[in-house]
Amino acid sequence: MTLTDTKQENKLGFFVRNQTIVVPIAAIFVAFVLGGILILLQGVNPLVAYKAIFSEAWFDSDGLLRTFQKTTPLVLAGLAVTVGLRVGLFNIGAQGQLISAALASALAGIYITNLSPIFHVLVALTCGIIVGAIWAGIAGILKAYRGVHEVISTIMLNSIAIGILDYLVSNPFKEPDQSLQRTKKIAETAVLPNIGVIPFGFILALIICLLVSWMLNKTTAGFRFNTVGKNKFAATYAGINMKLMVVTGMLLSGGLAGLGGAIETLGITYRFEPAFNAGLGFDGITIALLARANPLATIPAAILVGTLRAGGASLQFETGIEPEIVDVLLAITLLLVSAPILAKYLFKGKAQKSANVTSGWGN
Amino acid sequence: MKRMRTLAGISILALVLAACSSGSTDTAAEDTAAALDDSNCAAAESFCVGLVTDIGKVDDKSFNQSAWEGAKAAAAEVGGFAKYIETTDTKDYAANMKQFTDKSYDVIVTVGFLMAEASVAAAKENPNTKFIGVDQFQGEEVANLTGLIFPEDQAGYAAGYLAGLLTKTNKLGSVLGLEIPPVQLFAKGFEAGATAANAGVKVTTVYHPPADNGFGDPVWGAAEAKKQLSQGADIIFGAGGGTGNGALIEIAKAEGAGTSIFCIGVDTDQWGTVPEAQPCLVTSAMKGLSEGTADLVKAVFDGSIKGGNFVGTTGLADYHDLASAVSADIQAKVAEIVAGLKDGSIKTGVTL
Amino acid sequence: MLDFIKDNKKPVITLGLVTVIAYVLYFLDEIKTTSVLVFGWGYAVPLVLAAMVGIIGERTGVVNIGIEGQMLMSAFASFFGSVITGNIYLGMLIGIGAGLLMGAFLAVAAVKWEMDQIIAGVVINIVAAGLTSFFYAPGKTLPQLMPVVSIPILSDIPLIGPVFFRNGLFALATLFIVLAVNYAIFKTRWGLRSRSVGEYPSAADAAGINVTRVRMMNVTLAGALAGCAGAFLALEAAGTFARGLTAGRGFLALAIMIFGAWNPMGALAAALFFGLSTAIASQLQADEVINIPQQFVNLLPFVMTLIVLSIAVGRVRPPAAAGQPYTKEG
Repeated sequence: MTLTDTKQENKLGFFVRNQTIVVPIAAIFVAFVLGGILILLQGVNPLVAYKAIFSEAWFDSDGLLRTFQKTTPLVLAGLAVTVGLRVGLFNIGAQGQLISAALASALAGIYITNLSPIFHVLVALTCGIIVGAIWAGIAGILKAYRGVHEVISTIMLNSIAIGILDYLVSNPFKEPDQSLQRTKKIAETAVLPNIGVIPFGFILALIICLLVSWMLNKTTAGFRFNTVGKNKFAATYAGINMKLMVVTGMLLSGGLAGLGGAIETLGITYRFEPAFNAGLGFDGITIALLARANPLATIPAAILVGTLRAGGASLQFETGIEPEIVDVLLAITLLLVSAPILAKYLFKGKAQKSANVTSGWGN
Repeated sequence: MKRMRTLAGISILALVLAACSSGSTDTAAEDTAAALDDSNCAAAESFCVGLVTDIGKVDDKSFNQSAWEGAKAAAAEVGGFAKYIETTDTKDYAANMKQFTDKSYDVIVTVGFLMAEASVAAAKENPNTKFIGVDQFQGEEVANLTGLIFPEDQAGYAAGYLAGLLTKTNKLGSVLGLEIPPVQLFAKGFEAGATAANAGVKVTTVYHPPADNGFGDPVWGAAEAKKQLSQGADIIFGAGGGTGNGALIEIAKAEGAGTSIFCIGVDTDQWGTVPEAQPCLVTSAMKGLSEGTADLVKAVFDGSIKGGNFVGTTGLADYHDLASAVSADIQAKVAEIVAGLKDGSIKTGVTL
Repeated sequence: MLDFIKDNKKPVITLGLVTVIAYVLYFLDEIKTTSVLVFGWGYAVPLVLAAMVGIIGERTGVVNIGIEGQMLMSAFASFFGSVITGNIYLGMLIGIGAGLLMGAFLAVAAVKWEMDQIIAGVVINIVAAGLTSFFYAPGKTLPQLMPVVSIPILSDIPLIGPVFFRNGLFALATLFIVLAVNYAIFKTRWGLRSRSVGEYPSAADAAGINVTRVRMMNVTLAGALAGCAGAFLALEAAGTFARGLTAGRGFLALAIMIFGAWNPMGALAAALFFGLSTAIASQLQADEVINIPQQFVNLLPFVMTLIVLSIAVGRVRPPAAAGQPYTKEG
């Protein structure tokens, strides 16, 4: 081994040690190159296209606000799915939990009166969290006590939620004197304000994210969660109450999704309308997988998705490229972050084996 | 390290090649004469028309498409320029409109009733830009916002009247999208018209279950139409975007399509937009979306536009090749009804 | 035959019950019952085929949640394939081919690269949705219609005949595909090998079975069934392609698979159950019999599924090694 070899080794060493950061960045980079090729095929200069997205999403004050507004519920939806994954549950029901909570917090914001602003917001948020938790809890109880696989129960519950909410905003809670299916606007005192370009909800999401991360990594409860998620047999042998873990896990997951829905309503949309929260639950799954079930990583993942979505309109306006290209970019990123190909190509033998994020499917 | 440099190098090379080779900013969203673009909309001689779709695409064979075609045609006629943005998220309406106002567009067409509030807000913030809100009823007049509204129930009524006269089994059906006001107006109008024409008729009304894809589920629409056909309905009204289109296509496959079994389209003359349905498509309950949008855009151009509501026309599409299946007698009666609805002498009696 | 009934008690009993009720209703109102059953079976066909994809995969140890994307891509490919080649039969093959291709991708990603299987499935879904939307071209129509074939004697059986045996090609094939897959999984050597790979891969390996090869082959071939499901939707059911045509059916199929206990006959019963309750829901709306808002009537299938699942005794469990990549030790 010559001196220059050792120097190479040391430089490489830095990157090898920090693979969990390097690989995602490389993945995003490659995804943008591949996406750039698709854009090129449409006759558009990819650099112009990407500039359109980022200048809108980051360098325009309205656009930046929108980026934060889109990122916030994504962080929470991602946390919801992440918490589920950590305890070995695949919560596909985040969408149903989120929209149920969105309506609940809207109703709390409308019909509970005579409260001071801070208190009203807290009450409305809590209503959302509770409703989201209950909706997920149903699936949790069915799994713990009747053995119903959470994938099937949450898929059913999603559709049930959509149906019930559709009815509720068409009849009892419909805003009077107009024909749209939606609730009234929430009271002024229930609004979650923005601080400049940063929605208060975003700060809330960050705090919750740190709390969840701390809970999962530094507390005994978190330790139990992780154990159940990694190895059910070891967990049972260690005396952990599996039923309690399953129910608690779903309650927590649903509560997080619910918080996401509540913040959407109180801070961004100010009322409930069925079309408002479309797709967030599924995005939460993508975020959680991009973050590899690491709570802290949901933040950059959500920022990525939020940025691309916020910049999408500018993309189409400036270049005519259809917004769907964003989904293709995300899929490639997810693939490269998760498949060992990129890591192996860069680091050869020293690539860390990416562990299974979703160990819970096998029941 | 070497591998990373190689990767980075290749990527940068690719991007540089891309940047150099493709100088054009050919945009799919423009669709206009080569010389025009939106670089100078603020100038008096340049007339820029923007359009913000509701969730969906401009090629949805439905109201987004009709509105865009009207806007595009009007812009071409007056030597202007038109561009659209497809909304992907209901929370983006304001931001999408802002893309156009930032570039000083002369008129912005916003499509769909979900956008009503956002349109009002944008109109108030941009008093020098004209807004046309398709399907947006203006409760309160805003000077630079014109709501293009349609009495859907009248179109439905006329279609129902025709169906009531034409049916041999006295059973009619309708395959609908989500249960929202415009669709309800069409459906209730259809039922009212049918019973007015033929007191003994029975109309089956089925809405798509609440779901995100209520207007984009041709599989369900086709299956529902098939079910209604086998239960005796001989004329079926398909009103629900892609869902309705699925119904139309299925009915066209039926035995007797065009002679004893008919289908009725919605929003525009679907003879052209859904050619597979031609075997059974006797007419469509139309909202004059394209004409209305085009007329209002031209009104902006010549300065005659006013705030408030502008009631567009509704009517029945031409019978096309199936005219021979509709007796002259029936055609005359239906024409009478259409005229009566237009001049107000006939009321549908439909309320939501 | 008796063995078959013994091995599939629950599905057979369910189907038997449904058949009896159906015939009773048939005598009361022939037309309505037949049309409701036709709707129900039509709804069930893509679900059954998609569930087969999931079952074959998971029985071999590979979780496939990308069925939705496979179906969507196949629907797209079969429609535009038919349009471009001017021949619907070529279009069918192209659609099935697309399913195979995506199955191959999942096989490589999950088995060779040992990627997290759920993630591979999610990627398939997102890519399929994005690409089919991006490359969609409006205004195209099918060159020919899917022919409706009647199987000679079988289609004359009252009620069941017209429902199951007078249909387009894919719907007709489905029933036979289910029986074939069921037989293959439980009565052939291929099936035994596949199941052992899915339950206890290290033992299978020790017995000389090439785990990797079995998994890759099965996942790829199962993709053909997803291709059938997608082609059915575009060519037979809707007669066109629209963005998002599959509308979540791929995920519903996962629920059906679990409901059916990872068993083809169970999946058939579950899919029929779901299809029939959806048909009944739409019929209730049409008949205006009960004065319940349409939104609640349409919840019927989902609520009933939950109820049945909660009451049914016995936890069902997936194959033991499903979702875990297998690495040879030593």
